[in-house]
Amino acid sequence: MVNFFPESPLLILILLPALSGVVLWAIPSEKKNWIRWFAILISSIVLVLSVGIFVVFDSEVGGIQFQSSYNWLDMPGSWGDGSGAFALSLGVDGIAVMMVLLTGIVMFTGTIVSWTIETDSKDFFVLYFLLLSGVFGVFVSLDLFFFFFFYELSVLPMYILIGKWGSSSVFPRFSRSKEYSAMKLTLVLVGGSVLIWITILGIYAQSGVGTFNILEIQKVVEENFSREFQIIFFLFLMIGFGILAGLWPFHTWSPDGHVAAPTAVSMVHAGVLMKLGAFGLIRIGMELLPEGAAFWMPLLIGIGMVNVLYGAMSAMGQTDLKYVIGYSSVSHMGYVLMGIGTLHILGLNGAVLQMFSHGIMTALFFSVVGIIYERTHTRDSLILSGLAKKMGVTAALFTVAGLTSLGLPGLSGFVSELLVFIGIFQSYGIWGIVLGSLAVLGAALTAIYILRLIAKVFFGPIDPAWDDQKDSGYRERFATGILVFVILLVGLWPFPFIEVIESGVAPIIVNIQGLSS
Amino acid sequence: MITLLNTTAEYAWALPCFNVLAFILSIFLHRYITKKTIVISLGAIGLSFVWFMLILIDFISGGMDTILVDFDWIRIGDWVITWGFSVDRISIVMLGLITLVSLLVQAYSVEYMSGDSGISWYFGLQSFFVAAMLLLVIADNLLLLYFAWELVGLGSYLLIGFWYDRSSAAEAAKKAFITTRIGDVGLLIGIILLFKATGTFHISSIIHAATNGGIGEGTILLSSLLLFIGAMGKSAQFPLHVWLPDAMEGPTPVSALIHAATMVAAGVYLVSRMMPLFELVPAVLIVISSIGLFTFVFAGSIAMVMTDIKRILAYSTISHLGLMILVLGFGGVAAGLLHLVVHGISKALLFLGAGSVMHGMEEETRCEKMGGLLRKMPFTGVTFLIGALSLSGIVPLSGFFSKDEILVAILGAEVNEYWKITFLIATLGGVLLSSLYMARLYFLVFTGEARSEQADNAHESSLLITGPLVILALIAVLFGALVFPVPLWDGYAGFGDLIHQGHHLHFVIWLTFISLFLAIAGFALGWLMYGNEKISKMWFSKKIPWVYRLLCQKYYVDEVYQWAINRIVLPFARMVAQFDRVIINDTGIDGSGMSVIFSAVKIRVIQTGRLYNYGLGMALGGLLLIIVWWWL
Repeated sequence: MVNFFPESPLLILILLPALSGVVLWAIPSEKKNWIRWFAILISSIVLVLSVGIFVVFDSEVGGIQFQSSYNWLDMPGSWGDGSGAFALSLGVDGIAVMMVLLTGIVMFTGTIVSWTIETDSKDFFVLYFLLLSGVFGVFVSLDLFFFFFFYELSVLPMYILIGKWGSSSVFPRFSRSKEYSAMKLTLVLVGGSVLIWITILGIYAQSGVGTFNILEIQKVVEENFSREFQIIFFLFLMIGFGILAGLWPFHTWSPDGHVAAPTAVSMVHAGVLMKLGAFGLIRIGMELLPEGAAFWMPLLIGIGMVNVLYGAMSAMGQTDLKYVIGYSSVSHMGYVLMGIGTLHILGLNGAVLQMFSHGIMTALFFSVVGIIYERTHTRDSLILSGLAKKMGVTAALFTVAGLTSLGLPGLSGFVSELLVFIGIFQSYGIWGIVLGSLAVLGAALTAIYILRLIAKVFFGPIDPAWDDQKDSGYRERFATGILVFVILLVGLWPFPFIEVIESGVAPIIVNIQGLSS
Repeated sequence: MITLLNTTAEYAWALPCFNVLAFILSIFLHRYITKKTIVISLGAIGLSFVWFMLILIDFISGGMDTILVDFDWIRIGDWVITWGFSVDRISIVMLGLITLVSLLVQAYSVEYMSGDSGISWYFGLQSFFVAAMLLLVIADNLLLLYFAWELVGLGSYLLIGFWYDRSSAAEAAKKAFITTRIGDVGLLIGIILLFKATGTFHISSIIHAATNGGIGEGTILLSSLLLFIGAMGKSAQFPLHVWLPDAMEGPTPVSALIHAATMVAAGVYLVSRMMPLFELVPAVLIVISSIGLFTFVFAGSIAMVMTDIKRILAYSTISHLGLMILVLGFGGVAAGLLHLVVHGISKALLFLGAGSVMHGMEEETRCEKMGGLLRKMPFTGVTFLIGALSLSGIVPLSGFFSKDEILVAILGAEVNEYWKITFLIATLGGVLLSSLYMARLYFLVFTGEARSEQADNAHESSLLITGPLVILALIAVLFGALVFPVPLWDGYAGFGDLIHQGHHLHFVIWLTFISLFLAIAGFALGWLMYGNEKISKMWFSKKIPWVYRLLCQKYYVDEVYQWAINRIVLPFARMVAQFDRVIINDTGIDGSGMSVIFSAVKIRVIQTGRLYNYGLGMALGGLLLIIVWWWL
């Protein structure tokens, strides 16, 4: 390991954003630029750290790295000796490393994009960082209790962020206030987390090892967790985590939430938060309840299919830019669910890469829509037209995001979707072929709604109303440029990323396949 | 046969690299060196052409064995996805066509596009397209082929939409991308199915496995059909042809390069490349030849009545692609590829000629505004005539040879006699049609009276435009000779041998006479109708007006699609969106929230706050407990 790399980078990832709030509070509210620069400073440190973790992580060795543990509470009682029942145990495997990298990138670009927030920017950044602290916590926790703690921490600040800095939308036939969207998001997600909490307690009780530590519990899965236990509780997890991953039909919080949220929060929301669900399903569901996973996967892949096609069709029926992207997220998270559902090493690799790729892509989408909205004050694709004439770079950025989402080779979406497709074809015999073909069709549907949108909003003669719009500035180009760079990097040279993912995915698949044979 | 020589042919992958580099440079440097980006692009394609020549020399001296370079792209556990480049007999032909035509088209564009403000974007995109196209033909691997296949589509999308502020261009670009994308769904599924069956994307390994019974029959049938759907999209076969005529919204040199010579040939190339697979499933070959034949005649008939110079050429392109696909259905790879090259050159010539006409006519494209241009634009006129005669299949131009080889290939195929004769007659009918509309186009544009002010004032284009025309015309004249074993280099034994070692193209005299007669008759008829107007050109539209109308409306295919999109797809999408909002969200999600509030309101009533109410409750509860306890 490199010398100058901190001893426990994961702890810093969690604490730095959370504690930076204290410093932020000390800065006077009028010093807007101080606040902005400080926020950028914090997120660039976090970015450097998360890239560092990705680079230093040794995929040859694999397993869980950067481990550290901080005892929090002993629990004397009937189970074990009770010491270290609650401990902040940190560590990352290949999957978590990718998620940490994703969060680092989205957080940094989101912070830059949030430069334009004028009202109470201090409070905004405090909550924004708190949210991200929770997200990092979920990805690096090896302890079920803290996993859940951070999981909740990453949902609740959303409520205020959307409710205060968000925007309401009014359509001819209905309207969605930001308060409604914020409330629905929070209630639905908290509802899902009830199921998760029940399962976590169930796992804790059933394991009998007297600790919430995932690694310890994993050792006793085979002897203590009966098949029935696993089947019942995996369903709980599948719905609980599925809700956060946009699982149909519990997905409606997500498009409404995306639309109401301010740009940076939309980026984090669609880019990272939805991945928490899929991550939890892999981390807790597949690792601790492998037999349950094997039992329910055919259903998950089926619902994932519904997500893909239903999300794409819904996106086609939307006119608001953010709603289109919101539903496209539902559609693309379907590929993640399908990839997980394959229980095949290629499919699961693809699912994790799709989580990463979709996170970056959707962050790019939302930041570009933010750029447009700040200038035109509308997101209605029926009103916007011919913007490319005045906003060439913005149009190009949106096109890159669009092409990624329709799975154009050379961009990250192609690699991940290809792996998912191959994975689906390799599993479930003839059904795999049918589902796989429908999944490929979903990518063509994406092409239809994305290209229609691009043609409508950016091409064609420019509406005189938008004649004096300015193209994106250097700050915006810097932020989006990072995202485009990552998309291209993954698309053209996926090997280093896949290497890392595989080191995390392979043991899970080996474990589950070992059960069935 | 795989050999590893330390030669330039091993560095065939450098071909796309040059052009990608030019693309990147022109994107990032255009602000600083606007005009010089043209030099970069031209330099890259020029270098590619020279590089191709070196590869060609190498390839021949290496005994024309396949040269293969391979490396890993993704490796997951035991699964390895490799990328490989190969130079073989088919790809060397394609490389020659692509580098030559794109060099000429780019040189032509320097003058043609000189006034446009987006010129460095234009040249950058050209480089990008050429890179993707070169990658497509040297890919040894179906996945890499798909990769390039999609990038080629992107290049086409961006170039069709080059004048993006015209809504027609924006619509056309979108239509082209979406239509070909629908075909690509089939292609990708087919590729993944083959991967599932063989565990590899290597074309040679897949073919080896298939021919040795390593793949189930059902899989071969399904995947070859799916691959063909991909080919149909790219090569604009009915019913996925609708994008190509609209693609004429792009700059004319783009039409010459992408929508005549290179990209649209990709489908033909794919089928040729995978021919050993297709040959295992005769049913698919029948589908291929039927669709090819139908497209050949169908598009040719539309070309008869179009009045826009570029659209006539576009339908002619669709028609000739149909002819190539048709012969592939009879296993005639050599004949199909020969026609691919010949058509590519002739059609590029015609498109560039059309561009020159438009240039001299203030961007006018309607034939009814032209006429008598031969005197004003002699170079353009003569070269255009050569292209038209070549595509009509008149001796001794190259089109004559390729068309004849196609007929011979159909005649020689080992299929049902009646089937063969039906196809032969229909193809000959198509040949007649083909020369008729070519003659119509030529005579309408270049002979007779000038029918507008622009035509009166038309002027010949400069040397930078006519130069490429002359070169292409020379090739169109001379290329036919390559069918024979001319002493070009040691070991060249004709085009047939180049594609399949030991295979020789030959003539069947009676068939040659019939086809030549029909071609000349078609052209002569065209001259009589549109040249000296001995036969009224109106009789057809007067005699059977409904057929004429049907043709003018392009058989209403576009209308059917538009109807399906407007009446089925979009309403369905809106319905799903509505369902999601009203049923799933407002009823399902909000409804369950509401029901909690509702029941809370209802249950609240029992909290009266009166002691005797609670007392009664306690008493009843106690009684209930006693009864339960008693019962148990």
